[in-house]
Amino acid sequence: MILPLFPIWLIDFAGSSLMIIFSFLCVHLAMRLFNQDRENAVWIYFLWITSALAVFAISRGVGHVVKDLLIMSGRKDIWTILQPYSGAFNTMTFVLVASITLFFERVWQINQTILRDKQALQDSHGQILYLNRHLEDLVMERTRELRKSENKYRRIFESSRDMILVTDQDGQILEINPAGTDLLGFSKEKVENNACSFKHFFLRQEIWDRIVEELLAKGYVSDLETELIGPEGNVIHVLLSGSVECLLPDNGDTFDVVQTTDHHDVKEFFHFLVKDITRRRAMEQQLLQADKLASIGQLAAGVAHEINNPLNIILGYTQFLIKHESEGTDRYEDLRTIEKHVRACKNIVADLLSFSRSTRTRKQQIDLHECIKEVINVISQQFELDQVRISTEFDSRVPTMILDGGKIKQVFMNLFMNAKHAIGKDGLITVKTLYDQDAGQVEVRVEDTGCGIEPQNLSRIFDPFFTTKETGKGTGLGLSVSYGIIKEHGGEIKVESEPGKGSVFIVSLPVNQ
Amino acid sequence: MLGFNILKLLSYLFLVLFLMQPDVAHATQAHSYPEGLYVHQLAHFFFILSMATFIYWLRERGLSRDKGWRLLQYCALCFILWNADAMLAHYLESQEGLFVTREQTTLDAVLIASGGHTAETLIYYFAKMDHLFCVPGIIFLYAALRCFLAKARGDRVK
Ligand SMILES: Nc1ncnc2c1ncn2[C@@H]1O[C@H](COP(=O)(O)OP(=O)(O)O)[C@@H](O)[C@H]1O
Ligand SMILES: [Mg+2]
Repeated sequence: MILPLFPIWLIDFAGSSLMIIFSFLCVHLAMRLFNQDRENAVWIYFLWITSALAVFAISRGVGHVVKDLLIMSGRKDIWTILQPYSGAFNTMTFVLVASITLFFERVWQINQTILRDKQALQDSHGQILYLNRHLEDLVMERTRELRKSENKYRRIFESSRDMILVTDQDGQILEINPAGTDLLGFSKEKVENNACSFKHFFLRQEIWDRIVEELLAKGYVSDLETELIGPEGNVIHVLLSGSVECLLPDNGDTFDVVQTTDHHDVKEFFHFLVKDITRRRAMEQQLLQADKLASIGQLAAGVAHEINNPLNIILGYTQFLIKHESEGTDRYEDLRTIEKHVRACKNIVADLLSFSRSTRTRKQQIDLHECIKEVINVISQQFELDQVRISTEFDSRVPTMILDGGKIKQVFMNLFMNAKHAIGKDGLITVKTLYDQDAGQVEVRVEDTGCGIEPQNLSRIFDPFFTTKETGKGTGLGLSVSYGIIKEHGGEIKVESEPGKGSVFIVSLPVNQ
Repeated sequence: MLGFNILKLLSYLFLVLFLMQPDVAHATQAHSYPEGLYVHQLAHFFFILSMATFIYWLRERGLSRDKGWRLLQYCALCFILWNADAMLAHYLESQEGLFVTREQTTLDAVLIASGGHTAETLIYYFAKMDHLFCVPGIIFLYAALRCFLAKARGDRVK
């Protein structure tokens, strides 16, 4: 069998050329890959292997072509010399390619590791970045929340109508709200200078000691009723609640009370909420007063009625005797004295009777100003003898009201007489009226420049028979009768007074009745 | 992993030494230095081995699912075939008395089979056209690289 060698040569030649061309194209591609990402070990690896392949393709291709050319040109002897070199070189090149290929797995693994590490690094970097940014936001948000909350509580603290204060164990005031400074009557600076002790505001010091004891033992006190001393020495009735807060001085963290009582580093602070119940107390007192008045009224009504008749008889007989006695004799004077005192008794009885409302009220449309003016007309002359002047400031808007004119006059007469007594000689009584349209009531203020009323007497002046005047001068019924009359009209009577400076009696009467 | 590779490689080596029948090779006279041919054949075998390992790795890593790596796998397969083919050709070449070549210096050169060796001669004739394997191999490599490049570009754009 004869086979032509030409096709083999042709394929050799073409194949070798293609091998060379493509191997170089491969190197080029690998180069481009490498340039895209110089850190990628796989691309570096491809660069190696394609380069090795290119060397191989050249060595083999050139070998083949040279061999074919030499044989065809009849120079087989030269090829015989070259052949071992070509063969050896070829061998070396593909051993090289094969060896490099065997490293693929390693390279791949290394590359994977690098990529993984890189990814991990990037991930963690991203995470850190995210966290950083997020943390900032978080902190900002938290701060905002805290500020909001702080503002909220600050507002409660600042605008509370009740006193809120923080003190240390010795009563040193550390913080106090405006309501507190108002109530106790001192400046904020004084607190900041640590110059205020809550202890000293207690009317009775032992109360403070008891509070501290109870706070330390139980951790709280609640709704304790006690008295504080106000800015002008007045007694303030308060409802006091307190609790203990323990602070570690180093970090300021708060702890629960019970857990830390045996911790010797902690410092105890007291929080107090103090409610001024003076007004409530006063109201309660007034209620009590009304009660007292009602029962006394019933009693007095009976007694007065019984006494009234005998008194009339005594008075009648006394006057009868006086008629038959000539003036100037001792008997005449004695009878006069009897008559005077019987009249005084009758006055008291009359007072008692009116106090006990035994006289019926006759209400009609009345001009309050006219009413007051009439009273002033009666007394002004007598007052002026002692240099006691009466000035009026009437609110022209005050409408006519349905009142029992006689009784109202009696009220003002009482008030003016009391004022005159308080002044003694030389002073001023001011009568002011004020119409409060919204509340639907008229307020009458009777101010005097008299001696004023001692604080401890303030709560008692409306009591029947309470008087500071010597016997014979005062019955102690004037104010309680006035109180009854005003109550009957659905109004109120209050007093404000400063000892040594004067008093103000405030009568408020409702308009539409 | 590497230890396993070397073991595998050694076992292949022994197998091929056995197959090559050194005594047969010794008898030939085409090569004045038979060890040269041995080294060459071993190198071919080494090449096959490395390509086989390469394919093995690609498959184990599951990379052959990817187009680029699949092309690379085909490339390795082509190179294995080519090496096997070349080894066969070298082997037949080294045998004495299978065929003779005439008019070697002209384009009309022919291959004449010796009596009774027609089949071997025919096999040798086709085995000589080894470029039919290696050229597709390198084209596959080229295509694979192109694929990688395109993908790398795409990644970068992303
Ligand atoms: N304007 C006033 N200024 C000071 N003290 C007053 C005034 N009005 C009343 N008082 C006090 O209230 C007490 C009770 O008054 P009242 O009920 O009118 O009884 P009386 O005038 O008979 O004493 C008086 O004794 C006096 O101490
Ligand atoms: Mg009086």
